[in-house]
Amino acid sequence: MKTLFTPNAQPPRATFLLMVAGQGLVLLLLWLFYPLRLFPSLGEVFRSLGDLVTTQGLIQELWASMTTALQALSVATMLALLISYLTALPFFRPIAYAASKMRYLTLTGLTFFMALMLSSGHQVKLSVLIFGATVYLVTGMTSVILTTTQEEMDHARTLGMSEWRSFLEVVVLGKLDEMLEVVRQNFAIIWTMITLVETLYQSEGGIGLLLYKQNRYLHLDGVLAIQLVILATGALQDYVFVLLRRVFFPYSVLTAAK
Amino acid sequence: MSPYSYKEPVLTLEGVSMSYHGEVILRDIDAQVLDVVRPGMSQGQVVGFYGRSGIGKSVLCRIMAGLITPSQGTVRVGVEQQPVVPGTVGFVQQRYPLFDHRTLHDNLLVAAQRKHAPAAAREQVETYLERFCLTQHRKKYPAHLSGGQRQRAAIAQQLLCSDHLILLDEPFSGLDVAMIDELKKIIVEVTTMDELNTVIIISHDIQTTTALADRLWLLGYERDAAGQLSPGATIAKEHQYNLAEMGLAWHENVEAEPEFGQFVEHIKEEIRRS
Repeated sequence: MKTLFTPNAQPPRATFLLMVAGQGLVLLLLWLFYPLRLFPSLGEVFRSLGDLVTTQGLIQELWASMTTALQALSVATMLALLISYLTALPFFRPIAYAASKMRYLTLTGLTFFMALMLSSGHQVKLSVLIFGATVYLVTGMTSVILTTTQEEMDHARTLGMSEWRSFLEVVVLGKLDEMLEVVRQNFAIIWTMITLVETLYQSEGGIGLLLYKQNRYLHLDGVLAIQLVILATGALQDYVFVLLRRVFFPYSVLTAAK
Repeated sequence: MSPYSYKEPVLTLEGVSMSYHGEVILRDIDAQVLDVVRPGMSQGQVVGFYGRSGIGKSVLCRIMAGLITPSQGTVRVGVEQQPVVPGTVGFVQQRYPLFDHRTLHDNLLVAAQRKHAPAAAREQVETYLERFCLTQHRKKYPAHLSGGQRQRAAIAQQLLCSDHLILLDEPFSGLDVAMIDELKKIIVEVTTMDELNTVIIISHDIQTTTALADRLWLLGYERDAAGQLSPGATIAKEHQYNLAEMGLAWHENVEAEPEFGQFVEHIKEEIRRS
């Protein structure tokens, strides 16, 4: 028990799992018995979840949003990697700098310009998500690149590698695991934007649109049920990313601080 | 004293100076490493550069490795005495860097492929893994290697792609006695692999470097006629030592000899004075 409150301690796995289960239970009990009824009851949320699945196609809507999110993430990752790697050339550094700063832009006005430039609603929806994710990914990826040390580059150069080959070995291959971590961390931003973009173009549906409708008609049990589904999906995604990292970059967990 | 003679130069520093933002770090450094030949033996050479902390040893290392161009002067390497470019001189940095994303085998292979065709490179890697007692660790990532294994791997990697010259920057820094002994063995092993193999040790560890080297250069500051320190570290004529000539090279247990102790004391005194 004492290890749970000792800085940097490594409690036994069983103790840690017990602690997590205890914390979960406390949260559940608070939800069930808290005198102020801020949230709908657990039963109401579960009933609403069942209703959303059977009558409103929650699973199909989740799938639609998921495919859109993954599509946007794939394109955004490619774009962000390209912009970040191009910082090797001084000419492209201002572009990465500007892209990183664009995360302060609000999307509200931006969607209008995108709608003017693009023909279909789906494209606008996708491009808003891609834009939103890219600017965050570029920020994370460039900061990973900036952790490259003189020692690492010198090491590659002393092996007779050219400047481009040194960059490929040290920055591209050497930091691919960290790039995946940046993608994992920033995937969440797409889910936070999904409600906004799906309400812009409602014809394709999606879980964000479903959430918007539930919120609009003050179906708080439905809102909470959808939020919990999104939370669970996010947690699963995180787990998949961690798994991918372990499988494709087994060395990355060896150096992690414990 | 065992007989020996000198042949062609393998490393030449000529008038090397380095300044950063107007501050002189190194000034007019001249040094030449010659291939030393001992009858009946195929052995390369170990040379040492001493200097106090912060004097510019790492800058000198990077200049000799071709990683930076000196403000003035030239560095020539090999029997052809070509100007140094990155990759011609193996450079083992203080923390023994390796590619963390590659296994030990792949770390060596990526180095060997620079000079050899794929099949020959794999053969070379096997030879070096065997020679440096790393065969059983071939599939490990650098994070799984012990300090000693990492050292051996970093040295093997640089040897696989350099042209006989290998620079060690502060190799004894932070090592315990057992690891220093192990490293000394590796250095001797490297020099016996090829007649032209030359290990250049840049260190502030006087005792260990002197025990291994057959030539020494002491980096220090000179004083002008008025007794003021001149800017930039250099190697004065009186600070170039030929340990072979002095009878202090290639002895099994040279550190136990009184002459060795006296010489080390002399060096310490010189460092204090500069």
